[in-house]
Amino acid sequence: MNMTIPPRKEVITDIKNHGGLVAAVLPIHYSRALLRAFSIYPVEVWGPPKVDVSLGGAHLQAYICSIVHNGLSFLKMGGLNIADLILIPHTCDSLQGLTSVLIDLIQPEQVIIPLYLPRGQREEDVAFLVDEFRSLYTRFSDLTGKHPTSKDLLTAIKREEMSDLLLTKLYKNRQQVGLSNIDFYRLVRSREYLPAEHFSTLAEKTLQAATEPRPGIPIILSGILPEPMEVLTMIDKMSGLIVADDLACCGRRLYAPGTSPDPFRRMAERIVYAPPDPTRGNSIEERLKYLTEMAQNSGAQGVIFYEVKFCEPELFDLPSLRAGLKEQGLASIIIEVDINNSLPRQVATRIGAFLEMLDS
Amino acid sequence: MKIAALGIDVGSTTVKMAGVNASGEMIWNHLEQVAPRVEKQVDSFLNKLKEEINSLAGIPLVATGYGRNLVHQAVKNVTEITCHAKGVYHQLGHGGTLVDIGGQDSKVIVIGAQGQVVDFAMNDKCAAGTGRFLENSAARMQVSIDEMGSVALSATEEVTISSTCTVFAESEIISMVAHGVAVEPILMGLHRSLIKRVVAMVRSVGLVPPLLLSGGVVKNPAIRKVIEEETKEQVFLPEHPQLMGAYGAALLALKVKQK
Ligand code: SF4
Repeated sequence: MNMTIPPRKEVITDIKNHGGLVAAVLPIHYSRALLRAFSIYPVEVWGPPKVDVSLGGAHLQAYICSIVHNGLSFLKMGGLNIADLILIPHTCDSLQGLTSVLIDLIQPEQVIIPLYLPRGQREEDVAFLVDEFRSLYTRFSDLTGKHPTSKDLLTAIKREEMSDLLLTKLYKNRQQVGLSNIDFYRLVRSREYLPAEHFSTLAEKTLQAATEPRPGIPIILSGILPEPMEVLTMIDKMSGLIVADDLACCGRRLYAPGTSPDPFRRMAERIVYAPPDPTRGNSIEERLKYLTEMAQNSGAQGVIFYEVKFCEPELFDLPSLRAGLKEQGLASIIIEVDINNSLPRQVATRIGAFLEMLDS
Repeated sequence: MKIAALGIDVGSTTVKMAGVNASGEMIWNHLEQVAPRVEKQVDSFLNKLKEEINSLAGIPLVATGYGRNLVHQAVKNVTEITCHAKGVYHQLGHGGTLVDIGGQDSKVIVIGAQGQVVDFAMNDKCAAGTGRFLENSAARMQVSIDEMGSVALSATEEVTISSTCTVFAESEIISMVAHGVAVEPILMGLHRSLIKRVVAMVRSVGLVPPLLLSGGVVKNPAIRKVIEEETKEQVFLPEHPQLMGAYGAALLALKVKQK
């Protein structure tokens, strides 16, 4: 199917031309609705891949992941100059460290706003995030001079919920929409910078196309993000079919619609009760249950843990997760990558061998 | 000689080819050092074979190994993991845990009762735990690669090489030689260092006996002895340990033909 996704640059220029503000947002969880209620448009920064990392390297230890290395390098080379503010969720120690480096040492022109995230799914975690969102509201008000009402906030929330519902629908129908692995993730990842209403239009159009399910060896992709994206073309070529994912930038952000009439609580609940994620403190048992059910529902025969090198939250869980999956009869493999490098041929051999193993 | 199918394994140090008859027995093989222009080398391989058997028409070829994508004559490319498992299982007649130590990588493959790959691990990121580790160290001590196993086994004592990294091991060796340590105990220590690395990989997938070996490096008797000592398992070798990838590829080519 033919699909035109507007490029990131074009979208940002359009936002700016219409008087909107741009927030560069680092991984993983935050509330898009809260930003949009202030006419601030989130554009996410997952790296980006393949930049000159020597600029950021001067401030970071060698064992910090390439998402953070690249993010800082990109900022130092002027890649984030277009942004009016930089929002950094405290996803992990590395991003927390980056916030300190930016605030204390680099002091870029844009205002740096940290977002503290709770590590649990208890009532006090929701309450904590509600407070966080309230203080972000104050900071955004100070920045923009705007004071959106509860009604405004709820409108923004519902727009995002609609977009996320369509995203979830895309996931449910992914085999029927006639997209290859790479095209599916190009579309899904456009949510990282497209305003919700634009993404919804694209998603609706895609969902109208109904084709026969594509054949292939069914697998789950887990990890932070599918970068370099060549990996998806590689999986396509090797007859692998990603039938579900547990990726931080994609499937772990299939936020369910909220129910609370209080906008702050509704935004908080959506994140706290999102699919399990080690960076939000979900236990290995919860992740195992989630992955096993995902495999059962999607028919996946194995899991590729496609990990960013040095990503502590991800890598810590893997030995126990893999052992648990093995007990359930689910094969898995770990591939570690630096998003800055092109894919080494060894990755092709490992993924190829894994798919051959599942197919035999 | 009636070759029914061919397999080629384009490795990092050697190119291997095997031909099987309709029953899957290896009836022809050839091995050469890998040339910089693999495509040309494969062409000349096939031309030589054509001269021997008159025609290659109707004989499918499956390619494996790191240069498998360069073999444009292949009907299919299959990874070396699947091919090694296939070859070894067919030759030994049973599954187990296969350790393949190649020139530039090493792999551990758990082969199930029906010859299927159950799990695998690969060391493909650095030279530690591969043939290159021994090759570099042998060169440093001016011992030929073919002799290093027997020289190591003649040692009456053994020194510990603490570095598994090829570069650091080399400096360690230089320092030992400078301190007058004899070549034999150093070589024995080197073998143990390599095998410890390989055994760690075996443990990561879980050893399912029997322990099977393949790859050019296992022709070295010290490798076999040390791996038995470290795992407390008897090792089994196919007749042509270095050709198992090519043989497995040929068996898969035969399957293609029979389809
Ligand atoms: S890849 Fe891992 S370590 Fe790096 S920013 Fe993301 S969560 Fe943190």
